[in-house]
Amino acid sequence: MYCELANKLVVEAKRTEQLNSRNNARTTLPVHNDELVRDILNEVTQLKKNLEFFKEQQDIMSMDGASVDSNVMKCQYFVNLLCLERNKRCLLGYQKLRSDMLDSMAWENNGMDVMGSDLGEENSNLTHQEQEYLKKYSELITDMKSGELTDIDLSGSLTPPREIFIDVRVLKDAGEIQTEYGVFNLIKDSQFFVRQSDVERLIQQGFLQKI
Amino acid sequence: MGYYDIDDMLTEGSEIPCKFLQDIPGLGYLENNPGKPIKANAKLMLPYWLAHILAAIDNIPLSEDSMTVDDEEEPVPFLEMSTPESFSQRVINAIKTDPKSLDLHSINPHFYELAIKWCAIYSVKDLAKVVSELLLQRSQDINNFAYSMSTQTKNIDSIGTMSNITESKPNNLLASSSFLMTLDELEKYVYRTSHESYKNSKRWMYQNK
Repeated sequence: MYCELANKLVVEAKRTEQLNSRNNARTTLPVHNDELVRDILNEVTQLKKNLEFFKEQQDIMSMDGASVDSNVMKCQYFVNLLCLERNKRCLLGYQKLRSDMLDSMAWENNGMDVMGSDLGEENSNLTHQEQEYLKKYSELITDMKSGELTDIDLSGSLTPPREIFIDVRVLKDAGEIQTEYGVFNLIKDSQFFVRQSDVERLIQQGFLQKI
Repeated sequence: MGYYDIDDMLTEGSEIPCKFLQDIPGLGYLENNPGKPIKANAKLMLPYWLAHILAAIDNIPLSEDSMTVDDEEEPVPFLEMSTPESFSQRVINAIKTDPKSLDLHSINPHFYELAIKWCAIYSVKDLAKVVSELLLQRSQDINNFAYSMSTQTKNIDSIGTMSNITESKPNNLLASSSFLMTLDELEKYVYRTSHESYKNSKRWMYQNK
């Protein structure tokens, strides 16, 4: 029976969706199921061949003028076509879910270099095309932010700040940063009392941690 | 319900008992009999996405070349769908007896969505009524659980102000998790949403004290 593989793919997509709705901390993408997708694509090619064959047969039959049960012929045609459509829908659905997740990953990372260090291990879960897509999408975000909307921090946090000044702890060495209130030397495990808006970026990038 | 909706795809994957009304050559693989024709009156399970189109196909206007042939005979659909197991009398009776203790997930994880589709095709008003009543009954329970779960998590935060409640918690958790296992996907969604909103409103009230 056709389309059983596609079903498997959708079930997998569902599981991914569920996992991600549960831990709302960060989007994590499972490995792209190359093998299954390839098998489905093979099935699609097979279905296409079938369809071409049916079409030819029909042509021959109509040439002969013997239009024997063309309706019945159509049923085979339809079944194949529907399988084809179903496969297409499942594949697209799977890929759409993944690309949606990539989009949110790009936004979570503030349109920064998503391909950067801390996502390195996740990158192995992406296909080559997906990596390309993620890169392009991040570029788009960066473009949009540096365009007319420079004044608004589009990827900033949506929860309003409680205090102007916060305590932060340094997680990674980051060298010196310059603020209105002087220079801080960010050495690992040291603590500072700084203005939140100055260090927002560094928190998002994972250099600092709010206490 | 969009094209890319994963749940919709899974719903359409539900199998429906079908009966072929015409002999069709070359479709034997549908009943694990590849290469052979499928006979009229053959009964088999087909996924919804395949069956509902084939069952409705006589409504599709035939192309010109076949018009002349089919003029004299009444157009017959290729197959006929019979009521799926999920909506059989047995299940309907169970729903009517006790909607709340029913294990809907084991009947069909996409019960409601399939019911919507089914009712839309065959306009079965009885089924629609039963199903909407079912959701109404169960949503009260779902709401209760969503509410009690959110108050319990609150209790963990404000360290055991009511110790007797914290004691009974493991039981409650157990009961609710087995209850959650019986929900279908739509109900799970309802549960998650209401749970979230209870949690959020609690947090909001807590903050403003």
